[in-house]
Amino acid sequence: MNPLDKPYAQLALALLTVLVLPLFLKSGILATEILIFAMVVAACNLLLGYTGLLSFGQGIFFGIGTYVAGICLTRWSVPVPLVLAGAAVLGAATATLVGWLSIRRQGVYFVMLTLAFSQLFYFVAYTFSGVTGGDNGLLGVPRPSVGGTALNSPWSYYTFVAVCFVAVFALLVMVTQSTFGRTLLAIRENEGRAAAIGFPTKLFKLEAFAISGAVTAFGGALHAMLIGVAPLSNIEYHTSELILIMTIIGGSSSLFGSVLGAGFYLLLADALSTVWPRWLLLLGLVLVTVALFLQRGLWGLVERGYDLVFRRERAPETPAEEH
Amino acid sequence: MTDIALQTRGLGVKYGNFHALAEVDLQIRRNSVHSIIGPNGAGKTTLFHALTGRVRASSGRIELDGRDITDTSDDDRVRLGIARSFQVTSLFPNLALRENLRLAAQGRTPWQALAPWRRAEANAEALAIADEVIERLALAPVSNRLAGELSHGQQRRLEVGMAMAARPRVILLDEPTSGMGIDDIEAMKQLIRDLGRDHTVLFIEHNMGIVMNISDMVTVMRLGRKLVEGPPAQVRDDPEVQRAYLGNMITGDIA
Ligand SMILES: Nc1ncnc2c1ncn2[C@@H]1O[C@H](COP(=O)(O)OP(=O)(O)O)[C@@H](O)[C@H]1O
Ligand SMILES: [Mg+2]
Repeated sequence: MNPLDKPYAQLALALLTVLVLPLFLKSGILATEILIFAMVVAACNLLLGYTGLLSFGQGIFFGIGTYVAGICLTRWSVPVPLVLAGAAVLGAATATLVGWLSIRRQGVYFVMLTLAFSQLFYFVAYTFSGVTGGDNGLLGVPRPSVGGTALNSPWSYYTFVAVCFVAVFALLVMVTQSTFGRTLLAIRENEGRAAAIGFPTKLFKLEAFAISGAVTAFGGALHAMLIGVAPLSNIEYHTSELILIMTIIGGSSSLFGSVLGAGFYLLLADALSTVWPRWLLLLGLVLVTVALFLQRGLWGLVERGYDLVFRRERAPETPAEEH
Repeated sequence: MTDIALQTRGLGVKYGNFHALAEVDLQIRRNSVHSIIGPNGAGKTTLFHALTGRVRASSGRIELDGRDITDTSDDDRVRLGIARSFQVTSLFPNLALRENLRLAAQGRTPWQALAPWRRAEANAEALAIADEVIERLALAPVSNRLAGELSHGQQRRLEVGMAMAARPRVILLDEPTSGMGIDDIEAMKQLIRDLGRDHTVLFIEHNMGIVMNISDMVTVMRLGRKLVEGPPAQVRDDPEVQRAYLGNMITGDIA
Protein backbone atom coordinates (compact mmCIF):
# COMPACT_ATOMS: atom_id res chain seq x y z
CA MET A 1 0.00 0.00 0.00
CA ASN A 2 1.16 3.50 -0.78
CA PRO A 3 1.97 5.35 2.47
CA LEU A 4 -0.22 8.23 1.26
CA ASP A 5 -3.22 5.91 1.49
CA LYS A 6 -2.74 5.37 5.22
CA PRO A 7 -5.52 6.93 7.32
CA TYR A 8 -3.32 9.44 9.15
CA ALA A 9 -1.73 10.56 5.88
CA GLN A 10 -5.18 11.14 4.42
CA LEU A 11 -6.20 13.13 7.47
CA ALA A 12 -2.99 15.16 7.38
CA LEU A 13 -3.58 15.98 3.71
CA ALA A 14 -7.11 17.16 4.53
CA LEU A 15 -5.78 19.42 7.29
CA LEU A 16 -3.10 20.73 4.97
CA THR A 17 -5.74 21.58 2.38
CA VAL A 18 -7.71 23.62 4.90
CA LEU A 19 -4.59 25.58 5.86
CA VAL A 20 -3.26 26.06 2.34
CA LEU A 21 -6.41 27.19 0.53
CA PRO A 22 -6.47 30.68 2.17
CA LEU A 23 -2.86 31.22 1.15
CA PHE A 24 -3.51 30.65 -2.53
CA LEU A 25 -7.05 31.82 -3.10
CA LYS A 26 -8.34 35.36 -3.06
CA SER A 27 -11.97 34.34 -2.90
CA GLY A 28 -13.14 32.97 0.42
CA ILE A 29 -16.40 31.94 -1.25
CA LEU A 30 -14.56 29.73 -3.74
CA ALA A 31 -12.40 28.21 -1.01
CA THR A 32 -15.48 27.44 1.09
CA GLU A 33 -17.26 25.92 -1.88
CA ILE A 34 -14.29 23.64 -2.49
CA LEU A 35 -14.42 22.32 1.07
CA ILE A 36 -18.18 21.77 0.92
CA PHE A 37 -17.95 19.86 -2.33
CA ALA A 38 -14.89 17.99 -1.07
CA MET A 39 -16.92 16.38 1.71
CA VAL A 40 -19.89 15.74 -0.56
CA VAL A 41 -17.67 14.10 -3.17
CA ALA A 42 -15.93 12.00 -0.51
CA ALA A 43 -19.39 10.78 0.53
CA CYS A 44 -20.11 9.85 -3.07
CA ASN A 45 -16.80 8.01 -3.12
CA LEU A 46 -17.92 5.89 -0.17
CA LEU A 47 -20.57 4.51 -2.51
CA LEU A 48 -18.59 4.43 -5.75
CA GLY A 49 -15.10 3.51 -4.63
CA TYR A 50 -15.79 1.46 -1.53
CA THR A 51 -19.13 -0.18 -2.28
CA GLY A 52 -19.09 -0.20 -6.08
CA LEU A 53 -22.39 1.68 -6.36
CA LEU A 54 -22.57 4.39 -9.03
CA SER A 55 -25.28 6.63 -7.59
CA PHE A 56 -26.85 9.32 -9.72
CA GLY A 57 -28.92 10.36 -6.73
CA GLN A 58 -26.40 12.40 -4.73
CA GLY A 59 -28.04 15.65 -5.86
CA ILE A 60 -31.26 14.57 -4.13
CA PHE A 61 -29.53 14.49 -0.76
CA PHE A 62 -27.61 17.67 -1.44
CA GLY A 63 -30.83 19.43 -2.38
CA ILE A 64 -32.62 18.12 0.68
CA GLY A 65 -29.91 19.53 2.93
CA THR A 66 -30.20 22.82 1.09
CA TYR A 67 -33.94 22.99 1.64
CA VAL A 68 -33.70 21.98 5.29
CA ALA A 69 -31.36 24.93 5.84
CA GLY A 70 -33.47 27.23 3.66
CA ILE A 71 -36.76 26.42 5.35
CA CYS A 72 -35.53 26.19 8.93
CA LEU A 73 -33.46 29.36 8.77
CA THR A 74 -35.74 31.66 6.79
CA ARG A 75 -39.04 30.66 8.38
CA TRP A 76 -38.36 29.46 11.89
CA SER A 77 -34.83 30.56 12.78
CA VAL A 78 -33.88 27.16 14.14
CA PRO A 79 -30.39 27.10 15.75
CA VAL A 80 -27.75 26.19 13.16
CA PRO A 81 -26.39 23.06 14.92
CA LEU A 82 -29.94 21.68 14.92
CA VAL A 83 -30.35 22.59 11.25
CA LEU A 84 -27.17 20.73 10.34
CA ALA A 85 -28.15 17.71 12.41
CA GLY A 86 -31.65 17.76 10.93
CA ALA A 87 -30.25 17.95 7.40
CA ALA A 88 -27.99 14.97 8.09
CA VAL A 89 -30.85 12.90 9.56
CA LEU A 90 -33.25 13.70 6.73
CA GLY A 91 -30.47 13.08 4.20
CA ALA A 92 -29.77 9.69 5.75
CA ALA A 93 -33.46 8.80 5.79
CA THR A 94 -33.97 9.77 2.15
CA ALA A 95 -30.82 7.96 1.09
CA THR A 96 -31.99 4.86 2.93
CA LEU A 97 -35.28 4.97 1.06
CA VAL A 98 -33.72 5.65 -2.34
CA GLY A 99 -31.04 3.03 -1.66
CA TRP A 100 -33.55 0.46 -0.46
CA LEU A 101 -35.55 0.74 -3.65
CA SER A 102 -32.52 1.01 -5.97
CA ILE A 103 -30.30 -1.83 -4.73
CA ARG A 104 -32.97 -4.31 -5.68
CA ARG A 105 -31.52 -4.03 -9.16
CA GLN A 106 -27.91 -4.38 -10.19
CA GLY A 107 -25.58 -2.67 -12.61
CA VAL A 108 -27.15 -0.45 -15.25
CA TYR A 109 -30.63 -0.86 -13.79
CA PHE A 110 -29.44 0.32 -10.41
CA VAL A 111 -27.94 3.43 -12.02
CA MET A 112 -31.16 4.01 -13.98
CA LEU A 113 -33.19 3.83 -10.79
CA THR A 114 -31.06 6.39 -8.97
CA LEU A 115 -31.31 8.61 -12.04
CA ALA A 116 -35.08 8.25 -12.06
CA PHE A 117 -35.28 9.18 -8.37
CA SER A 118 -33.13 12.18 -9.06
CA GLN A 119 -35.66 13.39 -11.66
CA LEU A 120 -38.55 12.56 -9.37
CA PHE A 121 -37.24 14.60 -6.44
CA TYR A 122 -36.47 17.50 -8.75
CA PHE A 123 -40.08 17.58 -9.96
CA VAL A 124 -41.37 17.31 -6.42
CA ALA A 125 -39.26 20.32 -5.40
CA TYR A 126 -40.36 22.19 -8.53
CA THR A 127 -44.04 21.41 -8.00
CA PHE A 128 -44.30 22.21 -4.29
CA SER A 129 -43.11 25.76 -4.74
CA GLY A 130 -45.00 26.84 -1.63
CA VAL A 131 -42.42 24.95 0.43
CA THR A 132 -39.32 25.17 -1.76
CA GLY A 133 -39.79 28.48 -3.54
CA GLY A 134 -39.90 26.63 -6.88
CA ASP A 135 -37.78 28.25 -9.58
CA ASN A 136 -36.76 31.15 -7.36
CA GLY A 137 -35.59 29.04 -4.46
CA LEU A 138 -35.61 30.33 -0.91
CA LEU A 139 -33.92 33.68 -0.61
CA GLY A 140 -32.23 35.28 2.35
CA VAL A 141 -30.69 32.26 4.06
CA PRO A 142 -28.58 33.79 6.86
CA ARG A 143 -25.05 32.82 7.83
CA PRO A 144 -24.58 31.15 11.20
CA SER A 145 -23.32 33.17 14.16
CA VAL A 146 -20.66 32.17 16.62
CA GLY A 147 -20.56 33.93 19.98
CA GLY A 148 -23.17 36.47 18.91
CA THR A 149 -21.46 37.62 15.69
CA ALA A 150 -22.73 36.46 12.32
CA LEU A 151 -20.06 34.93 10.10
CA ASN A 152 -20.74 37.35 7.30
CA SER A 153 -17.23 37.75 5.96
CA PRO A 154 -16.22 34.98 3.54
CA TRP A 155 -13.15 33.90 5.50
CA SER A 156 -14.92 33.72 8.85
CA TYR A 157 -17.51 31.40 7.32
CA TYR A 158 -14.64 29.52 5.69
CA THR A 159 -13.27 28.80 9.15
CA PHE A 160 -16.63 27.45 10.27
CA VAL A 161 -16.89 25.18 7.22
CA ALA A 162 -13.25 24.13 7.58
CA VAL A 163 -13.93 22.81 11.08
CA CYS A 164 -16.98 20.92 9.77
CA PHE A 165 -14.98 19.59 6.84
CA VAL A 166 -12.14 18.23 8.94
CA ALA A 167 -14.61 16.58 11.33
CA VAL A 168 -16.62 14.99 8.51
CA PHE A 169 -13.51 13.89 6.67
CA ALA A 170 -12.13 12.28 9.82
CA LEU A 171 -15.44 10.53 10.29
CA LEU A 172 -15.35 9.16 6.74
CA VAL A 173 -11.76 7.98 7.19
CA MET A 174 -12.87 6.16 10.32
CA VAL A 175 -15.77 4.56 8.45
CA THR A 176 -13.57 3.32 5.62
CA GLN A 177 -10.97 1.94 8.04
CA SER A 178 -13.52 0.15 10.19
CA THR A 179 -14.56 -3.46 9.88
CA PHE A 180 -17.68 -2.04 8.20
CA GLY A 181 -15.61 -0.25 5.56
CA ARG A 182 -13.55 -3.35 4.91
CA THR A 183 -16.71 -5.39 4.47
CA LEU A 184 -17.89 -2.81 1.90
CA LEU A 185 -14.69 -3.42 -0.05
CA ALA A 186 -15.40 -7.14 0.03
CA ILE A 187 -18.94 -6.57 -1.23
CA ARG A 188 -17.60 -4.40 -4.05
CA GLU A 189 -15.10 -7.11 -4.97
CA ASN A 190 -17.44 -10.09 -4.94
CA GLU A 191 -20.93 -9.68 -3.57
CA GLY A 192 -21.86 -13.34 -4.08
CA ARG A 193 -18.96 -14.49 -1.97
CA ALA A 194 -19.65 -11.86 0.69
CA ALA A 195 -23.18 -13.25 1.02
CA ALA A 196 -21.90 -16.83 1.01
CA ILE A 197 -19.64 -16.14 4.00
CA GLY A 198 -22.56 -14.72 5.95
CA PHE A 199 -22.83 -10.98 5.30
CA PRO A 200 -26.32 -9.59 4.68
CA THR A 201 -24.94 -7.49 1.83
CA LYS A 202 -28.04 -5.37 1.23
CA LEU A 203 -27.94 -4.09 4.78
CA PHE A 204 -24.33 -3.03 4.36
CA LYS A 205 -25.12 -1.22 1.12
CA LEU A 206 -28.03 0.53 2.80
CA GLU A 207 -25.85 1.72 5.64
CA ALA A 208 -23.32 3.05 3.12
CA PHE A 209 -26.17 4.91 1.45
CA ALA A 210 -27.36 6.33 4.76
CA ILE A 211 -23.91 7.63 5.72
CA SER A 212 -23.38 9.05 2.24
CA GLY A 213 -26.81 10.73 2.29
CA ALA A 214 -26.19 12.24 5.74
CA VAL A 215 -22.88 13.80 4.74
CA THR A 216 -24.23 15.02 1.40
CA ALA A 217 -27.24 16.73 2.98
CA PHE A 218 -24.98 18.23 5.64
CA GLY A 219 -22.90 19.72 2.83
CA GLY A 220 -26.05 20.94 1.09
CA ALA A 221 -27.10 22.85 4.22
CA LEU A 222 -23.64 24.45 4.49
CA HIS A 223 -23.90 25.43 0.82
CA ALA A 224 -27.24 27.22 1.29
CA MET A 225 -25.71 29.26 4.12
CA LEU A 226 -22.71 30.03 1.93
CA ILE A 227 -24.59 31.50 -1.01
CA GLY A 228 -27.55 32.82 1.02
CA VAL A 229 -30.07 30.98 -1.16
CA ALA A 230 -31.60 27.52 -1.29
CA PRO A 231 -31.78 27.25 -5.08
CA LEU A 232 -33.74 24.71 -7.11
CA SER A 233 -30.55 23.92 -9.01
CA ASN A 234 -29.07 22.17 -5.95
CA ILE A 235 -31.57 19.33 -6.29
CA GLU A 236 -31.29 19.16 -10.08
CA TYR A 237 -29.97 16.15 -11.87
CA HIS A 238 -27.06 18.35 -12.89
CA THR A 239 -25.83 18.47 -9.29
CA SER A 240 -25.76 14.67 -9.14
CA GLU A 241 -23.77 14.64 -12.34
CA LEU A 242 -21.35 17.26 -11.02
CA ILE A 243 -20.69 15.28 -7.84
CA LEU A 244 -20.09 12.09 -9.81
CA ILE A 245 -17.74 13.81 -12.27
CA MET A 246 -15.69 15.24 -9.39
CA THR A 247 -15.56 11.80 -7.78
CA ILE A 248 -14.30 10.15 -10.94
CA ILE A 249 -11.76 12.90 -11.72
CA GLY A 250 -10.38 12.64 -8.20
CA GLY A 251 -10.09 8.87 -8.35
CA SER A 252 -12.14 6.41 -6.39
CA SER A 253 -9.40 4.56 -4.52
CA SER A 254 -8.89 7.13 -1.76
CA LEU A 255 -10.98 9.66 0.12
CA PHE A 256 -8.48 12.44 -0.36
CA GLY A 257 -8.72 11.85 -4.09
CA SER A 258 -12.24 13.24 -3.76
CA VAL A 259 -10.91 16.43 -2.22
CA LEU A 260 -8.56 16.76 -5.19
CA GLY A 261 -11.42 16.07 -7.59
CA ALA A 262 -13.65 18.77 -6.09
CA GLY A 263 -10.80 21.28 -5.89
CA PHE A 264 -9.58 20.60 -9.41
CA TYR A 265 -13.02 20.93 -10.96
CA LEU A 266 -14.05 24.10 -9.15
CA LEU A 267 -10.72 25.84 -9.62
CA LEU A 268 -10.62 24.95 -13.28
CA ALA A 269 -14.20 26.08 -13.82
CA ASP A 270 -13.41 29.33 -12.03
CA ALA A 271 -10.29 29.97 -14.09
CA LEU A 272 -11.80 29.02 -17.43
CA SER A 273 -14.97 31.02 -16.94
CA THR A 274 -12.95 34.24 -16.71
CA VAL A 275 -11.04 33.36 -19.87
CA TRP A 276 -13.83 32.52 -22.29
CA PRO A 277 -17.62 32.60 -22.08
CA ARG A 278 -17.82 29.15 -23.67
CA TRP A 279 -15.65 27.71 -20.91
CA LEU A 280 -17.83 24.63 -20.49
CA LEU A 281 -16.48 23.43 -23.83
CA LEU A 282 -12.91 23.64 -22.55
CA LEU A 283 -13.93 21.94 -19.33
CA GLY A 284 -15.41 19.12 -21.39
CA LEU A 285 -12.12 18.68 -23.23
CA VAL A 286 -10.18 18.54 -19.97
CA LEU A 287 -12.57 15.93 -18.60
CA VAL A 288 -12.21 13.78 -21.72
CA THR A 289 -8.43 13.99 -21.33
CA VAL A 290 -8.59 12.96 -17.69
CA ALA A 291 -10.95 10.08 -18.48
CA LEU A 292 -8.72 8.87 -21.31
CA PHE A 293 -5.32 9.18 -19.71
CA LEU A 294 -5.83 9.04 -15.95
CA GLN A 295 -7.69 5.81 -15.33
CA ARG A 296 -7.23 6.08 -11.59
CA GLY A 297 -7.98 9.78 -11.48
CA LEU A 298 -5.85 12.53 -9.98
CA TRP A 299 -5.10 10.37 -6.96
CA GLY A 300 -3.54 7.75 -9.23
CA LEU A 301 -1.28 10.50 -10.55
CA VAL A 302 -0.32 11.52 -7.01
CA GLU A 303 0.52 7.92 -6.09
CA ARG A 304 2.66 7.51 -9.17
CA GLY A 305 4.42 10.78 -8.46
CA TYR A 306 5.11 9.72 -4.89
CA ASP A 307 6.56 6.42 -6.05
CA LEU A 308 8.80 8.17 -8.55
CA VAL A 309 10.22 10.57 -6.00
CA PHE A 310 10.49 8.45 -2.86
CA ARG A 311 10.77 4.88 -3.99
CA ARG A 312 13.09 5.03 -6.95
CA GLU A 313 16.06 3.68 -5.02
CA ARG A 314 14.10 0.75 -3.58
CA ALA A 315 14.03 -2.44 -5.60
CA PRO A 316 10.55 -3.57 -6.63
CA GLU A 317 9.00 -5.77 -3.97
CA THR A 318 9.76 -9.38 -4.73
CA PRO A 319 6.84 -11.65 -3.93
CA ALA A 320 7.54 -14.21 -1.25
CA GLU A 321 8.39 -17.59 -2.67
CA GLU A 322 6.46 -20.64 -1.72
CA HIS A 323 8.01 -23.97 -0.67
CA MET B 1 -29.71 -34.44 18.76
CA THR B 2 -30.30 -36.87 15.99
CA ASP B 3 -27.53 -38.65 14.14
CA ILE B 4 -28.48 -36.80 10.96
CA ALA B 5 -26.85 -33.39 10.45
CA LEU B 6 -28.41 -32.44 7.16
CA GLN B 7 -31.44 -33.89 5.46
CA THR B 8 -33.51 -33.14 2.37
CA ARG B 9 -36.89 -34.46 1.36
CA GLY B 10 -38.20 -34.27 -2.18
CA LEU B 11 -35.82 -31.40 -2.93
CA GLY B 12 -36.27 -29.85 -6.36
CA VAL B 13 -34.85 -26.80 -8.16
CA LYS B 14 -36.11 -25.34 -11.40
CA TYR B 15 -34.25 -22.91 -13.66
CA GLY B 16 -37.18 -21.54 -15.63
CA ASN B 17 -38.92 -24.66 -16.89
CA PHE B 18 -35.85 -26.85 -16.59
CA HIS B 19 -35.78 -29.24 -13.63
CA ALA B 20 -32.11 -29.12 -12.63
CA LEU B 21 -32.87 -31.05 -9.46
CA ALA B 22 -35.84 -33.29 -8.69
CA GLU B 23 -37.04 -35.36 -5.74
CA VAL B 24 -33.72 -35.58 -3.99
CA ASP B 25 -33.85 -37.27 -0.58
CA LEU B 26 -30.57 -37.05 1.28
CA GLN B 27 -29.51 -37.96 4.78
CA ILE B 28 -26.03 -36.83 5.77
CA ARG B 29 -24.78 -38.40 8.98
CA ARG B 30 -23.05 -36.19 11.51
CA ASN B 31 -19.24 -36.13 11.28
CA SER B 32 -19.18 -38.30 8.22
CA VAL B 33 -17.55 -37.69 4.86
CA HIS B 34 -20.24 -37.92 2.24
CA SER B 35 -19.38 -37.49 -1.42
CA ILE B 36 -21.56 -36.64 -4.36
CA ILE B 37 -20.49 -37.88 -7.76
CA GLY B 38 -22.03 -37.89 -11.19
CA PRO B 39 -21.39 -36.69 -14.73
CA ASN B 40 -21.27 -32.99 -15.60
CA GLY B 41 -24.67 -31.38 -15.56
CA ALA B 42 -26.04 -33.94 -13.08
CA GLY B 43 -27.15 -31.14 -10.75
CA LYS B 44 -24.47 -31.52 -8.06
CA THR B 45 -23.59 -27.85 -7.88
CA THR B 46 -27.27 -26.97 -8.02
CA LEU B 47 -27.80 -29.22 -5.01
CA PHE B 48 -25.15 -27.22 -3.13
CA HIS B 49 -26.77 -23.96 -4.22
CA ALA B 50 -30.07 -25.17 -2.79
CA LEU B 51 -28.50 -26.42 0.45
CA THR B 52 -26.72 -23.10 1.05
CA GLY B 53 -29.63 -20.92 -0.01
CA ARG B 54 -28.01 -19.39 -3.07
CA VAL B 55 -30.97 -20.63 -5.12
CA ARG B 56 -34.45 -21.26 -3.76
CA ALA B 57 -35.81 -24.76 -3.64
CA SER B 58 -38.87 -24.98 -5.86
CA SER B 59 -40.12 -28.02 -3.99
CA GLY B 60 -39.28 -30.16 -0.99
CA ARG B 61 -37.62 -29.23 2.26
CA ILE B 62 -34.19 -28.96 3.84
CA GLU B 63 -33.46 -29.65 7.50
CA LEU B 64 -30.34 -28.82 9.47
CA ASP B 65 -30.21 -30.71 12.77
CA GLY B 66 -33.91 -31.33 12.45
CA ARG B 67 -34.68 -27.66 11.94
CA ASP B 68 -36.45 -26.58 8.75
CA ILE B 69 -34.18 -24.13 6.89
CA THR B 70 -35.89 -24.27 3.48
CA ASP B 71 -36.83 -20.59 3.62
CA THR B 72 -33.76 -19.36 5.51
CA SER B 73 -31.58 -16.86 3.62
CA ASP B 74 -28.05 -17.77 2.54
CA ASP B 75 -26.32 -15.52 5.05
CA ASP B 76 -28.53 -16.78 7.90
CA ARG B 77 -27.59 -20.36 7.05
CA VAL B 78 -23.91 -19.52 7.62
CA ARG B 79 -24.78 -18.57 11.18
CA LEU B 80 -26.67 -21.82 11.59
CA GLY B 81 -23.49 -23.70 10.68
CA ILE B 82 -23.34 -24.33 6.91
CA ALA B 83 -20.42 -23.08 4.84
CA ARG B 84 -19.24 -23.90 1.37
CA SER B 85 -16.51 -23.60 -1.22
CA PHE B 86 -17.23 -22.98 -4.89
CA GLN B 87 -16.40 -25.06 -7.94
CA VAL B 88 -15.39 -21.88 -9.78
CA THR B 89 -13.00 -20.09 -7.42
CA SER B 90 -14.79 -17.15 -5.83
CA LEU B 91 -12.50 -14.96 -3.72
CA PHE B 92 -11.88 -11.27 -3.08
CA PRO B 93 -9.05 -11.00 -5.62
CA ASN B 94 -7.84 -7.50 -4.68
CA LEU B 95 -7.71 -8.22 -0.96
CA ALA B 96 -4.89 -10.00 0.82
CA LEU B 97 -5.20 -13.73 1.48
CA ARG B 98 -5.35 -13.11 5.23
CA GLU B 99 -8.04 -10.44 4.78
CA ASN B 100 -10.09 -12.92 2.74
CA LEU B 101 -10.03 -15.35 5.65
CA ARG B 102 -10.61 -12.65 8.27
CA LEU B 103 -13.75 -11.63 6.41
CA ALA B 104 -14.89 -15.24 6.20
CA ALA B 105 -14.38 -15.59 9.97
CA GLN B 106 -16.19 -12.29 10.61
CA GLY B 107 -19.13 -13.46 8.51
CA ARG B 108 -20.41 -15.55 11.40
CA THR B 109 -21.05 -12.37 13.41
CA PRO B 110 -21.87 -9.84 10.67
CA TRP B 111 -23.87 -7.49 12.92
CA GLN B 112 -20.65 -6.47 14.66
CA ALA B 113 -19.33 -5.39 11.30
CA LEU B 114 -22.20 -2.95 10.84
CA ALA B 115 -20.66 -0.63 13.45
CA PRO B 116 -18.69 1.91 11.40
CA TRP B 117 -16.52 2.85 14.37
CA ARG B 118 -15.32 -0.66 15.24
CA ARG B 119 -11.87 -1.59 14.04
CA ALA B 120 -11.45 -4.88 12.21
CA GLU B 121 -8.51 -5.77 14.46
CA ALA B 122 -10.77 -5.52 17.50
CA ASN B 123 -12.18 -8.92 16.57
CA ALA B 124 -9.22 -10.94 17.81
CA GLU B 125 -11.09 -14.17 17.36
CA ALA B 126 -11.57 -13.64 13.63
CA LEU B 127 -7.86 -12.88 13.24
CA ALA B 128 -6.95 -15.98 15.22
CA ILE B 129 -9.21 -18.14 13.09
CA ALA B 130 -7.72 -16.66 9.91
CA ASP B 131 -4.21 -17.47 11.11
CA GLU B 132 -5.21 -20.95 12.16
CA VAL B 133 -6.65 -21.69 8.71
CA ILE B 134 -3.56 -20.22 7.04
CA GLU B 135 -1.43 -22.55 9.14
CA ARG B 136 -3.55 -25.57 8.40
CA LEU B 137 -3.50 -24.94 4.66
CA ALA B 138 0.23 -24.17 4.66
CA LEU B 139 -0.38 -20.77 3.11
CA ALA B 140 1.70 -18.75 5.61
CA PRO B 141 4.41 -17.72 3.11
CA VAL B 142 1.85 -15.97 0.91
CA SER B 143 -0.61 -14.73 3.53
CA ASN B 144 -0.02 -11.06 2.69
CA ARG B 145 -0.34 -11.46 -1.05
CA LEU B 146 -3.46 -10.48 -2.92
CA ALA B 147 -5.74 -13.45 -3.46
CA GLY B 148 -5.83 -12.73 -7.19
CA GLU B 149 -2.04 -13.09 -7.43
CA LEU B 150 -1.87 -16.59 -5.93
CA SER B 151 -1.18 -19.70 -7.99
CA HIS B 152 -4.14 -21.82 -9.01
CA GLY B 153 -3.40 -24.44 -6.38
CA GLN B 154 -3.12 -21.82 -3.65
CA GLN B 155 -6.38 -20.23 -4.74
CA ARG B 156 -8.14 -23.59 -4.58
CA ARG B 157 -6.82 -24.14 -1.07
CA LEU B 158 -7.92 -20.66 -0.03
CA GLU B 159 -11.32 -21.40 -1.52
CA VAL B 160 -11.66 -24.32 0.90
CA GLY B 161 -10.20 -22.17 3.68
CA MET B 162 -13.01 -19.63 3.18
CA ALA B 163 -15.47 -22.35 4.14
CA MET B 164 -13.35 -23.53 7.08
CA ALA B 165 -12.99 -20.00 8.50
CA ALA B 166 -16.72 -19.83 9.11
CA ARG B 167 -16.27 -22.62 11.69
CA PRO B 168 -19.20 -24.55 10.24
CA ARG B 169 -20.61 -27.81 11.50
CA VAL B 170 -21.50 -28.83 7.97
CA ILE B 171 -18.96 -28.01 5.27
CA LEU B 172 -19.77 -28.28 1.57
CA LEU B 173 -16.86 -28.52 -0.87
CA ASP B 174 -17.55 -28.27 -4.59
CA GLU B 175 -14.78 -30.05 -6.54
CA PRO B 176 -11.99 -28.88 -4.21
CA THR B 177 -9.27 -30.58 -6.29
CA SER B 178 -10.30 -29.34 -9.72
CA GLY B 179 -7.28 -28.29 -11.74
CA MET B 180 -4.81 -29.15 -8.96
CA GLY B 181 -1.42 -30.79 -9.40
CA ILE B 182 -0.68 -34.26 -7.96
CA ASP B 183 0.98 -33.03 -4.76
CA ASP B 184 -1.77 -30.57 -4.00
CA ILE B 185 -4.40 -33.25 -4.57
CA GLU B 186 -2.82 -35.55 -2.01
CA ALA B 187 -2.70 -32.71 0.55
CA MET B 188 -6.33 -31.86 -0.14
CA LYS B 189 -7.32 -35.48 0.37
CA GLN B 190 -5.64 -35.48 3.78
CA LEU B 191 -7.36 -32.22 4.64
CA ILE B 192 -10.84 -33.46 3.74
CA ARG B 193 -10.29 -36.64 5.70
CA ASP B 194 -9.12 -34.50 8.62
CA LEU B 195 -12.10 -32.18 8.40
CA GLY B 196 -14.34 -35.24 8.62
CA ARG B 197 -13.21 -35.83 12.19
CA ASP B 198 -14.97 -32.78 13.60
CA HIS B 199 -17.19 -31.64 10.74
CA THR B 200 -19.88 -33.09 8.60
CA VAL B 201 -18.30 -32.99 5.16
CA LEU B 202 -20.31 -33.08 1.97
CA PHE B 203 -18.16 -32.90 -1.12
CA ILE B 204 -18.46 -33.09 -4.86
CA GLU B 205 -15.51 -34.76 -6.54
CA HIS B 206 -14.53 -36.23 -9.88
CA ASN B 207 -11.35 -37.86 -8.65
CA MET B 208 -12.49 -41.41 -7.89
CA GLY B 209 -9.24 -42.16 -6.08
CA ILE B 210 -10.21 -39.65 -3.41
CA VAL B 211 -13.88 -40.51 -3.38
CA MET B 212 -13.39 -44.25 -2.91
CA ASN B 213 -10.63 -43.70 -0.37
CA ILE B 214 -12.07 -41.31 2.15
CA SER B 215 -15.85 -41.37 1.81
CA ASP B 216 -18.12 -42.98 4.35
CA MET B 217 -20.99 -42.72 1.93
CA VAL B 218 -21.30 -41.97 -1.78
CA THR B 219 -24.32 -40.58 -3.62
CA VAL B 220 -24.38 -40.87 -7.40
CA MET B 221 -26.47 -38.32 -9.26
CA ARG B 222 -27.60 -38.18 -12.85
CA LEU B 223 -29.97 -35.82 -14.65
CA GLY B 224 -30.91 -34.02 -11.46
CA ARG B 225 -31.86 -37.17 -9.58
CA LYS B 226 -30.27 -39.56 -7.14
CA LEU B 227 -29.19 -42.67 -8.97
CA VAL B 228 -27.53 -44.84 -6.34
CA GLU B 229 -26.32 -44.39 -2.78
CA GLY B 230 -24.17 -46.50 -0.51
CA PRO B 231 -20.71 -47.15 0.89
CA PRO B 232 -17.86 -46.72 -1.65
CA ALA B 233 -17.29 -50.40 -2.41
CA GLN B 234 -20.94 -51.03 -3.05
CA VAL B 235 -21.27 -47.99 -5.33
CA ARG B 236 -18.18 -48.92 -7.28
CA ASP B 237 -19.56 -52.32 -8.17
CA ASP B 238 -23.08 -51.18 -8.91
CA PRO B 239 -23.92 -52.11 -12.51
CA GLU B 240 -26.07 -49.01 -12.98
CA VAL B 241 -23.23 -46.74 -11.92
CA GLN B 242 -20.84 -48.61 -14.21
CA ARG B 243 -23.26 -48.00 -17.04
CA ALA B 244 -23.76 -44.31 -16.20
CA TYR B 245 -20.04 -43.72 -16.23
CA LEU B 246 -19.23 -46.31 -18.94
CA GLY B 247 -16.58 -47.45 -16.50
CA ASN B 248 -14.14 -44.72 -17.36
CA MET B 249 -14.20 -42.53 -14.28
CA ILE B 250 -14.48 -45.21 -11.65
CA THR B 251 -10.87 -46.23 -12.23
CA GLY B 252 -9.66 -43.09 -10.50
CA ASP B 253 -8.43 -40.76 -13.20
CA ILE B 254 -8.61 -37.04 -12.72
CA ALA B 255 -11.35 -35.16 -14.47
N1 LIG C 1 -28.26 -20.58 -13.51
C1 LIG C 1 -28.69 -21.57 -14.33
N2 LIG C 1 -29.68 -21.36 -15.21
C2 LIG C 1 -30.11 -22.34 -16.01
N3 LIG C 1 -29.61 -23.57 -16.02
C3 LIG C 1 -28.61 -23.86 -15.18
C4 LIG C 1 -28.09 -22.89 -14.28
N4 LIG C 1 -27.10 -23.43 -13.56
C5 LIG C 1 -27.01 -24.71 -13.97
N5 LIG C 1 -27.91 -24.98 -14.94
C6 LIG C 1 -28.13 -26.26 -15.61
O1 LIG C 1 -28.51 -27.18 -14.61
C7 LIG C 1 -27.91 -28.44 -14.84
C8 LIG C 1 -27.13 -28.85 -13.62
O2 LIG C 1 -26.00 -28.02 -13.49
P1 LIG C 1 -24.98 -28.19 -12.28
O3 LIG C 1 -25.74 -28.24 -11.02
O4 LIG C 1 -23.97 -27.13 -12.41
O5 LIG C 1 -24.34 -29.61 -12.59
P2 LIG C 1 -23.03 -30.28 -12.03
O6 LIG C 1 -22.49 -29.48 -10.92
O7 LIG C 1 -23.46 -31.66 -11.60
O8 LIG C 1 -22.07 -30.38 -13.19
C9 LIG C 1 -27.06 -28.29 -16.09
O9 LIG C 1 -27.80 -28.81 -17.19
C10 LIG C 1 -26.85 -26.82 -16.21
O10 LIG C 1 -26.73 -26.46 -17.56
MG1 LIG D 1 -20.71 -28.55 -10.69
